[in-house]
Amino acid sequence: MRPFKYINATTGEQALQAAEQHERAKYLGGGTNLVDLMKEDVEQPDHLIEIADLEYNSIKENKKGGLTLGAVVSNSDTANHPVIRQKYPLLTMAMLSAATAQIRNMATNGGNLLQRTRCPYFYETSMPCNKREPGSGCGAKKGMNAKHAIFGYSDSCVAVHPSDMCVALAALNAEVEVLQINGKTKMMPFEDFHRLPGAQPEKDTNLDKGELITAIHLPQSIYADHYYYLKIRERSSYAFALLSVAAGLQIKNGIIASAGLAMGGVAHKPWKLTKAEQFLKGKSPSEENFQRAATIAMEDAKPLAENGFKVPMGEKAIVRALNQAYNRKV
Amino acid sequence: MKTLETSSIGKAIDRIDGRLKVTGMAKYASEFPVENVVYAQGVTSTIAKGKITSIDVTEAEKQKGVIKVITYKNAEKLKESDEKRPAFTLTSVAPVLQSPEIHYYGQYVACVVAETFEQAQYACRLVKVTYEEDKPDIDLDKNRSKAFKPDDQADYSRGDVDAGMQSSDVTLEATYTTPIEHQHPMELHAAIVSWENGKVKTYASQQILNDAKTAIADTFMISEDNVQIIAAYLGGGFGSKLNVHKHLIMATMASKMIGRPVQITVTRQQMFTNTGMRQFDEQKMRLGANKKGELQALAHHTTSHCATDQMYYEACGNVSKMLYKTPNNAVTHRLIPLNLQVPNSMRAPGEATGSFALESAMDEMAWKLKMDPVEFRIKNDTQRDLGADKPFSSRLLVECLRIGADKFGWSERKMQPRANQNGNWLVGYGVSAASRRAPYRKTSARVIADMRNGEVYATIQMDGTDIGTGSYTIVAQTAAEYLGIPVKNINVELGDSDFPVTPGSGGSWGAASYANGVRVACKNLFSKLKQNAGVAEEDEVALEDLMKSSKVTSYKVVGTAEPSEEYENHSVFSFGANFAEVWVDKDTGMYRIKRMVNVGSAGKILNPKTAYSQIIGGLTMGAGMVIAEQTQVEPHHGNFITRSLADYHVPVNLDLANIDVVFLPEEDKIANEIGVKGIGELGITSVAASIANAIFNATGKRMRDLPITPEKLIEASLEAGV
Amino acid sequence: MAVFKLKINGKSREVDVDPFTPLLWVLRDHVGLVGTKFGCGIAQCGACTVHVDGKAVRSCQMPVQLIGEGEVTTIEGLSEEGDHPVQKAWLEQDVPQCGYCQAGQIMSATALLKENPNPTDEEIETAMSGNICRCGTYTRIKRAIKSAAQNQNA
Repeated sequence: MRPFKYINATTGEQALQAAEQHERAKYLGGGTNLVDLMKEDVEQPDHLIEIADLEYNSIKENKKGGLTLGAVVSNSDTANHPVIRQKYPLLTMAMLSAATAQIRNMATNGGNLLQRTRCPYFYETSMPCNKREPGSGCGAKKGMNAKHAIFGYSDSCVAVHPSDMCVALAALNAEVEVLQINGKTKMMPFEDFHRLPGAQPEKDTNLDKGELITAIHLPQSIYADHYYYLKIRERSSYAFALLSVAAGLQIKNGIIASAGLAMGGVAHKPWKLTKAEQFLKGKSPSEENFQRAATIAMEDAKPLAENGFKVPMGEKAIVRALNQAYNRKV
Repeated sequence: MKTLETSSIGKAIDRIDGRLKVTGMAKYASEFPVENVVYAQGVTSTIAKGKITSIDVTEAEKQKGVIKVITYKNAEKLKESDEKRPAFTLTSVAPVLQSPEIHYYGQYVACVVAETFEQAQYACRLVKVTYEEDKPDIDLDKNRSKAFKPDDQADYSRGDVDAGMQSSDVTLEATYTTPIEHQHPMELHAAIVSWENGKVKTYASQQILNDAKTAIADTFMISEDNVQIIAAYLGGGFGSKLNVHKHLIMATMASKMIGRPVQITVTRQQMFTNTGMRQFDEQKMRLGANKKGELQALAHHTTSHCATDQMYYEACGNVSKMLYKTPNNAVTHRLIPLNLQVPNSMRAPGEATGSFALESAMDEMAWKLKMDPVEFRIKNDTQRDLGADKPFSSRLLVECLRIGADKFGWSERKMQPRANQNGNWLVGYGVSAASRRAPYRKTSARVIADMRNGEVYATIQMDGTDIGTGSYTIVAQTAAEYLGIPVKNINVELGDSDFPVTPGSGGSWGAASYANGVRVACKNLFSKLKQNAGVAEEDEVALEDLMKSSKVTSYKVVGTAEPSEEYENHSVFSFGANFAEVWVDKDTGMYRIKRMVNVGSAGKILNPKTAYSQIIGGLTMGAGMVIAEQTQVEPHHGNFITRSLADYHVPVNLDLANIDVVFLPEEDKIANEIGVKGIGELGITSVAASIANAIFNATGKRMRDLPITPEKLIEASLEAGV
Repeated sequence: MAVFKLKINGKSREVDVDPFTPLLWVLRDHVGLVGTKFGCGIAQCGACTVHVDGKAVRSCQMPVQLIGEGEVTTIEGLSEEGDHPVQKAWLEQDVPQCGYCQAGQIMSATALLKENPNPTDEEIETAMSGNICRCGTYTRIKRAIKSAAQNQNA
């Protein structure tokens, strides 16, 4: 690993200060992704600012009747938190499908949002990759892209976001609380947190330099009765999704009052299925409507040379996830 | 004569090295404390074909702790083969850092030696290599014109396949492919080497010490007597540690050059490009049968790749020469040189992949004939190996199929695919035959008997290895049996090349060879002691009494076992059958292997516990072949796009079904005097086809390309007639 | 370089290493505890699993700096005599083959049983899926964990 300096921040302010002072500094949470990337020489920070000791380490109810998840709480503590299990089981289900127990013990919530793509061209430093080395080209676009995006990609990048947790957070309409450089806090709707690659694939999120995630806010729970996280992957566990669907339904008087739907493994960011959500609202939870929603969701898909399978697979996965969510015994 | 309680051959005793392994005390290659050791790390090429034009090591050499950077410019001169594309054998020389030529992506171009592992790793990044890059040959299809016949054994035929096909009522022509796979034993390839006064001593993770000794000695052009290899415990091998790979030579060279012991650990990423792999195989099958289901023709044509500078092939077609009765048979193997590392043996080379093609094709034929796949196989059974024109020493394939079918509940299977549904799941049953040559090779062992406190203790020494197979335990059991003393009085010392020579662990010959070597050594001990004591050879006397009466307190003897003429006159194979129940999600293409029943006939089972472990191990790796294992090559750059265990998916705990393993009671005295046959590879030969066939039965989709991933299942269309 | 005082297997050990050195290399190269294995170095195989304050973590990914006051337990410190119920069950069921991954498997299994003394098959499979075994000992691991659970609760 390249040499770097290590800074232990004990307050958010200290962390921001350190980040401002050092151009190539990175925050270090659980390190489960960053440390690997440093070992692979993909990330080359000159300073690591440890934030594990910051005060953003609890899960508590917020003013809006929802829940606030501290940024440095571990993924396992979050997924297994009794209130989350009870009120946001979709989040638990998605989080437990990710990685392994040991990794979840170390990984933090903030870090999960900042996971970098698993695109092999990104990881192999001798290959072209605009995300790793802007201007070097996108190896995957003309190379091997079976596991890449079908929505929202650009000429410079076809990578997908790897997180499971984020797909659930997109479906749940979470918000991200961020400490800005000026010391003030801002809230970002989850959909605006990650970005599409455009001409700047090196930027995964809309965070400004040095900004620090302090918490994730979940709105009031409405999908606790009808939810499902469907993850399609090659082996039964411990693999990133070929494609995944997070579905939450709020049923009132036999009608869908609200639907939360998002997909993973299909775009540079967790892909919220807004049009399908809107379509389902006010409809009856029937197979036919689920199918229609799935068709709507996949309408804009533009597969690459090797990932055409994601379109029929995605459509079937959405229908299945909605069915499972609706039929879940409560 | 005292009767002693012996836990000997055939008993399910606990692994004698188990305790060391559950307490973290078993020592693997890189775990021996060696004074003054330094760390070496290889730098690998980032192009697949071309030439190094410059290597700048100044920055790397400046780093704290860095002792030396070795490149082709300052490396020791090593022995190289005179041939353009020599075969990669168990004793092949492994020259490294000898020229600026690049043959594949990931080839070693430099070696950094530093005081710590992390310093070496970091300095590797600072070695700047520039290349003159050529367009690499990566694509098999684009290079078909370069296909060549690798050796005289590559082709075989009997009868006339075309005529046989023409006279058949039902025929099949189908192509099956299996991807590049990697062995990936959990222990990374590692070694600690010291070169002192012209002698090499190394702790190295090698499966066959005597061959490795030859390879090291030849590469450095020194006498074999000057090489000692110690491999007390190996963290798995699966073929990848059969040969001496270049890292071991690199570390030895480094030690020679700097005069200190050198430790090297090949990284997991480097294990994709530098320690062997199973090659991609394309297998074209042609089968013909009459209406009664009797095979009339069987052809098996395999095309694979090798390296541009070295060759190896797994003989996929061999299984088609011997498994079924057919008058007309043709087998060919062709290789296409590509800019990839040289492949080597991975668990059941040829059989694992060849059986997938043959046993899938047999299932396709059964479906076309509307015959039960078990009955179809039984109908075409043969007790003579028609390919070798020799009788089998024993062959209980029919029994394996019948007993397995019964245990599995095969009669519940519906011939029509998609007929068994359970909610969103399509349920299917599949079967495959298993076969694996069960060789036995010349093996020596030393027995040292000691009298202590009125009891006999024995130490057995052999250069054989335990790669997880249970060699320590079965050697102890065999010695206990033939010495008539308890297992607890036996001390087994393996994995030192200074011990008597064995064929090592690999090729399913370990158990038979080790056990018979020990048998002869123990018998020799008795003979010698009887001679000394003036006791007639045929008299039965306990070892303890013999030693007491002749006042011998310690006695040492070596014995050597060799295959008999009868063995040479027969075809010696282990057989088996695997039955699988697979549930396929009708929409997502994900599937679960729900349960498997495996029946094996592999001669005398020395220890049912360790034998069972070998079978489930083979089945698990075979399941991996089907579920996800594949190494993909980047089409433009020639690097492996699957470059870590996060991309190369080996089976995990959740992937595995309930597995029921049955061994048929058998002793094959033609195979060898104890009647034992190998089982380390038998398990893997039947899994892939049984699962693919179950998937067909579940879905009506014929999956001919491994691995069978969700996306392939979604895209596949239904087979005609489903 | 910096000096760290670590608590490993109930003993305090001082090491002088770079703050970012992963715990795995501190254990193997500096403290001489080689029971914890190096299988990939990037947290993908589980061979390096140890406990920090009773929780299973990957030591190859854990910078020594982050351990602080944490109590580290390795396979060598799991029991005095190698007779932890999980180790005993492992022997009885002939779990280890090559043995290389087993320290990690055992450390994951003991952490699981601590949290969940009576895991179901599925809970075992899910909890243990991060520990790769290439010898294919999974079915035996499952059995051994069940048997250890029984003996532990008896």
